[in-house]
Amino acid sequence: MPKRRDIVAIVLIVLPWTLLITVWHQSTITPLLATQKDDRRDGRSNSRNTFAFKESCSLQNRDIVEVVRTEYVYSRPPPWSDILSTIHVITPTYSRPVQKAELTRLANTLLHVPNLHWILVEDSQRRTTLVTHLLRDMGLNYTHLNVETPRNYKIRGDTRDPRIPRGTIQRNLALRWLRETFNVNSSQPGIVYFADDDNTYSLELFEEMRSTKKVSVWPVAFVGGLRYESPKVNTLGKVYGWKTVFDPHRPFAIDMAGFAVNLRLILSKPQAYFKLRGVKGGYQESSLLKELVTLGDLEPKAANCTKVLVWHTRTEKPVLVNEGKKGFTDSNVEI
Amino acid sequence: MATRMKLKLKTVFVLYFMVSLLGLIYALMQLGQRCDCTEHDIPKDRTISRLRGELHRLQEQIRKSEATKQPQKPPARQPTVFVITPTYARLVQKAELTRLSQTFLHVPQLHWIVVEDSPHKTPLVTDLLVKSGVTYTHLHMPTAKDRKLQEGDPSWLKPRGVEQRNEGLRWLREDRRAQPGGDNQQGVVYFADDDNTYSLQIFEEMRSTQRVSVWPVGLVGGMKYERPVVEGGKVVRFHTGWRPSRPFPMDMAGFAVSLKLVLSNPEACFDGEAPMGFLESSFLQGLVTMDELEPKADNCSKVLVWHTRTEKPKMKREEALHAQGLGSDPAVEV
Repeated sequence: MPKRRDIVAIVLIVLPWTLLITVWHQSTITPLLATQKDDRRDGRSNSRNTFAFKESCSLQNRDIVEVVRTEYVYSRPPPWSDILSTIHVITPTYSRPVQKAELTRLANTLLHVPNLHWILVEDSQRRTTLVTHLLRDMGLNYTHLNVETPRNYKIRGDTRDPRIPRGTIQRNLALRWLRETFNVNSSQPGIVYFADDDNTYSLELFEEMRSTKKVSVWPVAFVGGLRYESPKVNTLGKVYGWKTVFDPHRPFAIDMAGFAVNLRLILSKPQAYFKLRGVKGGYQESSLLKELVTLGDLEPKAANCTKVLVWHTRTEKPVLVNEGKKGFTDSNVEI
Repeated sequence: MATRMKLKLKTVFVLYFMVSLLGLIYALMQLGQRCDCTEHDIPKDRTISRLRGELHRLQEQIRKSEATKQPQKPPARQPTVFVITPTYARLVQKAELTRLSQTFLHVPQLHWIVVEDSPHKTPLVTDLLVKSGVTYTHLHMPTAKDRKLQEGDPSWLKPRGVEQRNEGLRWLREDRRAQPGGDNQQGVVYFADDDNTYSLQIFEEMRSTQRVSVWPVGLVGGMKYERPVVEGGKVVRFHTGWRPSRPFPMDMAGFAVSLKLVLSNPEACFDGEAPMGFLESSFLQGLVTMDELEPKADNCSKVLVWHTRTEKPKMKREEALHAQGLGSDPAVEV
């Protein structure tokens, strides 16, 4: 009996000390809790910094309905800041019926982001009037480029070279333009992000990528046949792997929309481009990133890669059966 | 001797326990406190003070430009655009509502009425609306089971969003009746589905609606666009490839109704029993005749809204993982 009492006594003595030690251990190594708190605060205060609005909540008697009235003082796009880094968004685009719609709603999103420079690269021989007029009317800070992907004319008709993933040549042209326009020695801070015209981006994402020092990464929804793919982040805040099903052993198992690169890194490595030929499906992003950075240098964003801030949405091809062979609608009307 | 020893041990043990407990409490309290990390704070403080300086400068600029604009500003406020959006839970819901809210955030005097097809308000939509910055009303109305589309049903089998749009109308009528001005209030009601694409110009076009205004809609009806045909400033017929004999052969996104008309016709609502494609007609028939329609968008020659549809994301691998119990973290909201 005294033996059991002794054991109980020893356990009760040791328990608080082990708890103490683990608590101390956590609080010194992982500042996770602190950053989580900051994140939520930053999200709110960010929106207050870029636009000024007065908010007054009025709760009605019935608790099922809540009417929130905000007076929004906005200017499209937000005024240029001398302090924030510029985000260069590279978007390849090509002509198809939904092109104008996609570019319109993407522009509506980008118009909220301060210090944004949109580099739109058309897959065409000449710059189309549709895109030219759209860019001119939107009011965004933009650069309009174009380069045509060479087509291999097959027996069935013109189909693109299947070995060149779509948008590659256009993205490479944008990278070349950046290298020709900006000097690596200048102090202009900038971030480069590849944004396809059919994805959906939250405004929080652009603020997360602004602090990129080399290459930052975050989760992307609806890729790889999963709800989302994300980098694996350890308790020290470093990326050590990829939470994907489709070939997680790729050097960088991440979607185009899941990373951003600091402009200085792009300029300092002028030979880094997306590989054109001989690239396996899913290895496009790795072909660029392995020239720029190693796995350990990656900076995880979006609360250590636990929040989804970008969705890889795809727009359905519209059914145009009623157009018939000659086209039912007036082709002069731009859609 | 033995009892005294036992007593001593007991006191030692108790003392030890109390000290440990106090130490633990102290450590837990330390958790919430700031650490002494000045070398991280200094550059951040510098950035913060520079941003604050810029903020003050910009606020001064805005105040100055508002002061000069003051005499030119019209005394009456613009009519509010009430946008009724039915929505339902599916994978792409958050993405659709996010990009929709980003468009609406640009439009002044817009009131977004979101009606969920759900027996109660979901936290996903609640949080999204709060963070969006748009003036909004959050409602919910579940669709009856027999009227709901089942998994695998083609999208045209049953009409969608009927109960939700009617609930939006009901709330609007109730809310506006309580406002001063009665039935003479200025405003426009527009039904915007959450997967379409809207340009900013369409909202300015519809603001001047007196009764019902119409315009072309892109990528609908199996064609590049559908539109009303305008002759002499009036709508004479509709250019559409599908059932043009309908009373109003147009899409939900192709018209807007003035608030006055909605309030003065309290029974006008969408009929869920109407045959396919007649949903819009079931609402508009009692409200207006074809020659009363007001054509917008440059006499219905420009496409300012597109009936885009978003693909259902492929979840094969997710489902396979789920069967193995290794699915992605459901706590992460997508």
